[in-house]
Amino acid sequence: MERSKAVATALVSVLLGGGALALAGFALASAAPHQAAKVCQPTTPGNCTLTIDSYPDALAGEHGKGGGPHPDWVSYSDFNLVAPTNTTVTMTINQYDSGGALNNKAFFGRVWGTEGGTAQYMIPTDKGADTPVQTLSKVDPSNIGHTFTLRGIPGNASPLFVSVPLPASPSTNSVQVGDATYGSPVRVTFSFKVKGPGVYEWNCEFPCGGSREGQFGYAMSAYGYMSGTLTVK
Amino acid sequence: MNSKKEKLTGMYISAFVMTVVGVLIGVYGPARLMPRSMSDNMHLSILTIVVFTIAAAPVAAGVYAVALHALRHWTHRGDNVPAPADDQTREHPVLVTSWVLASTLLTVFLLIWGLGALSVDNGGVGRNPLVVDVTGQQWLWTFSYPGTHVESPTLVLPEGRTVVFHIKALDVTHGFWLPNMGVQVDANVGTTTEIHTTPTALGSFDVRCTQFCGLNHAFMVSTGTVVTKEKFAQWLSAQSAKA
Repeated sequence: MERSKAVATALVSVLLGGGALALAGFALASAAPHQAAKVCQPTTPGNCTLTIDSYPDALAGEHGKGGGPHPDWVSYSDFNLVAPTNTTVTMTINQYDSGGALNNKAFFGRVWGTEGGTAQYMIPTDKGADTPVQTLSKVDPSNIGHTFTLRGIPGNASPLFVSVPLPASPSTNSVQVGDATYGSPVRVTFSFKVKGPGVYEWNCEFPCGGSREGQFGYAMSAYGYMSGTLTVK
Repeated sequence: MNSKKEKLTGMYISAFVMTVVGVLIGVYGPARLMPRSMSDNMHLSILTIVVFTIAAAPVAAGVYAVALHALRHWTHRGDNVPAPADDQTREHPVLVTSWVLASTLLTVFLLIWGLGALSVDNGGVGRNPLVVDVTGQQWLWTFSYPGTHVESPTLVLPEGRTVVFHIKALDVTHGFWLPNMGVQVDANVGTTTEIHTTPTALGSFDVRCTQFCGLNHAFMVSTGTVVTKEKFAQWLSAQSAKA
């Protein structure tokens, strides 16, 4: 009798423990950010275009009016990017933020993994006027706003590594973006080829998060600000 | 009720069976459970795990056999004080001496093996090693080849040539780990750590971080490849031309 009671107690404990774990997992999954997908728009067969922005705060873009819980954190406009398989993605990033020096200047000051190993840069004047587009394979690493660095996870997707430095914007004029006002953006355009299906991870490699050792705290340590995914499907 | 001899015989048999199982796990397990060996360090690591598992098998089997014997024969239910077990062993000098002697010999053997393995791992790097500078930062490994202008997000190594890694971190502590090479060492800020290995098999491998280093630590995985010396020279000159 005592033995059967002990066995029943053990079984109930295991079931309750398993249920609590499942509940915690469900709650965590539900709490994860679910942002609307930014889909690469087809242009010609095998080609598509994708445009995103990077801001000095979270007042524009997906965090909504008021900037969400951390309006002063730097942010990209979108972090759930989607592209079709076997496509050349032409990406344009409007970079509105100021900047500083990279901590791995030689490496992240270079353009990696794009077609031709270059990107096209339009860096406005301090008054915000457009300048001629330059095709560059590296930029001044001591004046970077952010980087867009995309990598595949071995075993999870076809190999891919793209890293493009985004120079700081020198512009001091006023441009309205949603409810926020910034200087004119640096416009960077580059292309890269995606192959089979998979999920890639991207983030900024400029130490722009503030706080903590290495300046990789706050916005750099939370999903939905300076990192995201590119889903190829 | 079984006699004392019968009970102990059962314990000895279970100890023997578990020893055999442990030895079989030692012989066949590590090669299947551990990453594929691609370097001399990894060969030694796998061999060490095999030897240590085999050496530990009879000790573990002995402990488990006694525990099972106790659970089976010495379990007492009820509030009354149990009668002394009829199969107790007291003041058995031969058993105690054998146990202490065997444990001592085993421990000394493992110590000597471990020191020898460490000595081999820390031994000289021979002539003409390839030096690779490894930089860890949140959340990427980058590699450069001193004497050239080559930098790369992937690690390319020549087969059969000793490679010396000079490892540093730029922000927080990372852990430089090549699972197939048997190489793992911390990457620290402000200090360069060094470790070496000799790739012995062609193919690809992962470069991982073993220190929790922030948001995308799980994605801090790069790809490495071991190629022939000729292909390595071609790759190096092609990268130099791009740099």
